[in-house]
Amino acid sequence: MANASPTGHHVSGRRIEGALARPQLVEIVVDGTPIAACQGESLAAALLVAGRRALRASPRLGLPRGAFCMMGVCQECLVRVDGRLVPACQTAVRPGMRVETDGGRD
Amino acid sequence: MSELDLVVIGAGPAGAAAALEAHRRGLRCLLVDEAPAAGGQVWRAPPEGFVRRKADADAKAGDRLRAELGASSIATAFGHRVWLITESFRIEAVGSEGPVTWRAPAIIAATGVSERVIPFPGWTEPGVIGLAGATVLLKAQQVLPGERALVAGCGPLLPAVVASVLKAGGRVAAAVDLAERREWLSALPAMLTRPDLLARGLGWLIRLRRAGVPVYFRHAIRQVESAEEHLEVAIAPVDATGRFVTEVCERVFEVDWVAVGHGLVPGTEITRLLGAEHRYHAERGGWVAVLDETGRTSVPGLLVAGDGGGIRGAAAAVEQGRLAGLATALDQGRLDRDGFEREAKPIRRRLRRAERFGQASARLMAVRAGQVLSIPEETIVCRCEDVTRAEITAAIGAGAAEVNQLKGWTRCGMGPCQGRMCGEAAASLLAVASGSRDAAGIWTGRAPLRPVALDDLLGDYSYGDIPLPKAAPL
Amino acid sequence: MTDVPDARRVDAAVVGAGLMGTTVALFLARGGMRVALIDRDGICRSASGVNAGTLTLHMTRAALIPYAMRGFEMWTSAGAWLGHDLGVVSTEGLCLAFTEDEAALLEARTHARRAAGAPIDLVSPTRAREIEPGLGRDVRLAACCPVDGHASAYLTGLAYRRALAAAGVRLLEHHPVTAIEPEAGGFRVRGHDLDLRATRLILAGGVWLEPMLRWLGIALAIKVLVNQLAVTERLPPVMRTVVTIATGLLSLKQFANGTVLVGGGWQGKGDREHGTGTLIPENLLGNLRLAAFAIPALRAGRLVRAWLGLEAETADAMPAIGPMPGIPGAFVIGSVHSGYTSGPYMGRLLADQILGRPPEQPLFPIDRLLAPARQPATKVHAR
Repeated sequence: MANASPTGHHVSGRRIEGALARPQLVEIVVDGTPIAACQGESLAAALLVAGRRALRASPRLGLPRGAFCMMGVCQECLVRVDGRLVPACQTAVRPGMRVETDGGRD
Repeated sequence: MSELDLVVIGAGPAGAAAALEAHRRGLRCLLVDEAPAAGGQVWRAPPEGFVRRKADADAKAGDRLRAELGASSIATAFGHRVWLITESFRIEAVGSEGPVTWRAPAIIAATGVSERVIPFPGWTEPGVIGLAGATVLLKAQQVLPGERALVAGCGPLLPAVVASVLKAGGRVAAAVDLAERREWLSALPAMLTRPDLLARGLGWLIRLRRAGVPVYFRHAIRQVESAEEHLEVAIAPVDATGRFVTEVCERVFEVDWVAVGHGLVPGTEITRLLGAEHRYHAERGGWVAVLDETGRTSVPGLLVAGDGGGIRGAAAAVEQGRLAGLATALDQGRLDRDGFEREAKPIRRRLRRAERFGQASARLMAVRAGQVLSIPEETIVCRCEDVTRAEITAAIGAGAAEVNQLKGWTRCGMGPCQGRMCGEAAASLLAVASGSRDAAGIWTGRAPLRPVALDDLLGDYSYGDIPLPKAAPL
Repeated sequence: MTDVPDARRVDAAVVGAGLMGTTVALFLARGGMRVALIDRDGICRSASGVNAGTLTLHMTRAALIPYAMRGFEMWTSAGAWLGHDLGVVSTEGLCLAFTEDEAALLEARTHARRAAGAPIDLVSPTRAREIEPGLGRDVRLAACCPVDGHASAYLTGLAYRRALAAAGVRLLEHHPVTAIEPEAGGFRVRGHDLDLRATRLILAGGVWLEPMLRWLGIALAIKVLVNQLAVTERLPPVMRTVVTIATGLLSLKQFANGTVLVGGGWQGKGDREHGTGTLIPENLLGNLRLAAFAIPALRAGRLVRAWLGLEAETADAMPAIGPMPGIPGAFVIGSVHSGYTSGPYMGRLLADQILGRPPEQPLFPIDRLLAPARQPATKVHAR
């Protein structure tokens, strides 16, 4: 259902330097690929930096969806973390976290 | 948990202020929030393990708040999600330790707002983010989703986000505002009541000017399309109601991400669930509980503080919180009427001043009835269920006269966002048919207040633990 | 949207536009009568629109099995006779027993239902798990009905709407009735903005049947059950059958869209006068724990919505369907209990009777439920 190589969905973001002193980068695994992220930052933010924007396919039409509201409201950033479906924007990065996108849909 | 006099739900500026005030008066108070720390959206704590090097006004306010809470002996329950409140004020929540129950004779609901985004083609594309969401990302997480942004919508969040992007070293291809310049200018007198905030706003404008960001007043996004490694955003002029005036697109921009938002909507889940009386006030952000001057609702013991009772901004939220805490103390006999009036006087004075600024902001963010008219029929309105405008139009044509009927017939609002993303657009579409937002009705309040993980709720149990009631007749 | 009623006469006025009232109205109109269907709300907004939509013979009382089976046939063919299929799915229904007592209960119930004609068989836990791979452990015994299923109850009103219009039924939604007066030639039905004369009267008021019958001087006690229901977000496939339990305390199904609906008659707060109130947390939790015991994969999901519905039940837990004693031309329908499955059939049966066609199956006259010495008054005004 999900678009295998969606266009415009691999734009990378970046961490803004200056205002915050961040902890060290740690490694998490997203769909089998190791990705660097900051411990404690929101998983949604980490995925945006890594250029992983399309996280799911919409239920009826199968269109790509990603984080929208950043506040745990829209339910668009649902991903599987260590087997459990969670909103990425409400989930803090932990080292070794295993993330699967296309959150549980066939 | 020992006996409680008050549970405050939401630890943003209003909730924290309410809890501190009530605690000061001797009430046994519990402050609850889903987030790991107090601050709400506007005064969010930095992520755990992150240390601030530079603090702006909001950051400082948040730190002060968290310090004051920490220094007090107020009981707090962070990381707890309230999912049910019964008529008798039994409060069910889930936290890391599993389900938990609290009971109190008084509840202050200080759950803030959610963002209104009126749909347009492509609003569901990854890389399109709400204005409030962009604020969280840029300020709290210090992450830029891409180098080139287009920022659109209305209200003070618009220039704030533009400024944040520029400050982070990003580029803003355009600022696209539903309002016209005149609306901002007419908000100025009210904004003078908060010279600090006004100065901040001017700072945004200066940054915007200096960076040469083109500003399109009376314009809106026509559509967003996903292209090779970027997004293409078409904008076009609108009228005062937010409706497109022509079929044409004025300009197309190539950007990496889009921030868009059309105002803030008071969160009324708790007051709706408990059956409080509500009224529609467009200038306050929409449906709000009917409140007296201190935030008491029509349900005895249930009060509202902060933007959840009507958009007034963070400064007003703090004063409202104090008033609500004070009112609860009065209601529970911790101070007498004279004492209350004495304490309330300076709070009211500060509130009046703060409110004027907030009201001006709210006006800039008020719903523009014509926006929904521009939504093409095939555009998705309900993101959770992929319900298009066409399906909503059909249901209205088939006789759906109010929002709950519409929900039943289209599934719009039945998904996990519980109608928060689609509710405004769906109700506005109904209002076009039925004559007013009043006539379109208010969404029935239901539990769970937010989606709750069954695993968290159920815990470990054996079959014998299940309290099976008397079986149905054979 | 709302018809402006006048004092024109109709052949039949149906008060209460739930599933039963709406079905009666539809078939009466198709039988050639001028029919008005009246409700103080929109059609099918109460029990009919908020129930779990379970179509099962497992939860049907033995005496009602023939009715439920015919009802099931109507549901699965709704596309043809109604013009809307309500998303009806036919699938096996598994009734489970987790304890020895439940197993004994299940055996007895299955036996009784089989005797009444239901195609239900007892199956071993192993076989049950073949039919429903999502089952948890600890299943001691199960019963399988190959023709159970489910509908999306919230679509009921929408499903009937066009058929009602096509049949020429005058739909008077948002018109509360405040008084019904028997008069020469029939009945006068009155309310705010409502003044209607009808030759025949059908009361189909669900839990509100008791106060409605008082308008006509009939004292019939209708118990009000306050059922809690809950639904999850869309989940990956976790079950494929309709799952119930020997005690009747669980109904569980996964719709085509992936959401799982949990029911079972666990009670919440509410009453007839004020409608549905708040959930009783222990009861919701108990219901959900039972559900997760039956289908453990549910635990991975999130609860998105919970609500309550009012269900009517008579003193002997059997339906109230038939003519009103002592009031010619007046009929009553309701209180079937787990009546969604048999609802359309019950409605059609009563319509047949009213149209003068002998109904296929006996109805359930309310004489049995009334106090023997009581005489209904002939002219009573509402309070």
